[in-house]
Amino acid sequence: MPKYNGDSITELISALCDSSLSGFSWKRRSLCGVSQEGIRRTLWKCAFRVLLSKLFQGDTSKAAASSYALASTPARNKILMLSFNLRVAGCQEEAERLECFLAQLHEGASSALTELDAVLELLALLAGSAPQPPTSL
Amino acid sequence: MASAANTNMNAVRETMDVLLEISRLLNTGLDMESLSICVRLCEQGINPEALSSVIKELRRATDSLKASENSTS
Repeated sequence: MPKYNGDSITELISALCDSSLSGFSWKRRSLCGVSQEGIRRTLWKCAFRVLLSKLFQGDTSKAAASSYALASTPARNKILMLSFNLRVAGCQEEAERLECFLAQLHEGASSALTELDAVLELLALLAGSAPQPPTSL
Repeated sequence: MASAANTNMNAVRETMDVLLEISRLLNTGLDMESLSICVRLCEQGINPEALSSVIKELRRATDSLKASENSTS
């Protein structure tokens, strides 16, 4: 897997595309005549299409207006709302840990990262987006 | 000077570890590698909402590729 040392947006998006392809069977793909480069290019185009469509979307859309209240909620509060949801779902321990980690983040290295709120916002937006791990019987 | 840089590196590492734990608890599907790429993209000024859409779209695209791989095997 190529290493990306740069911090340019294009390089980082390429790295994100590559990381989404981890565990992919390239050997079988190449037998079907699909090149690794071709798939990477397709994903890269797909990522930029979505990114650019979001960047140039006006803030006056109905969806933006209706979700204004939630959009203006601080990222930390959104995580706390998700923690509340975990409690309601009976996952007390997970909720406790989540709140503990959140507190740790805000107490400690109070800004090892410059865009901590943006990262928390991203995590809140992606919450529950991965398939649930299979539960053992 | 070097010690200050080391302290900062440790602080970043600790913050990343905490973010990964939060990410796991929220079931975001991000591993350490993709999380660190996302952090760097956020630091480059990419809007988190746009980035979350990109990630979801990439998952859809790779899932359909994987599905077609399974159907041809």
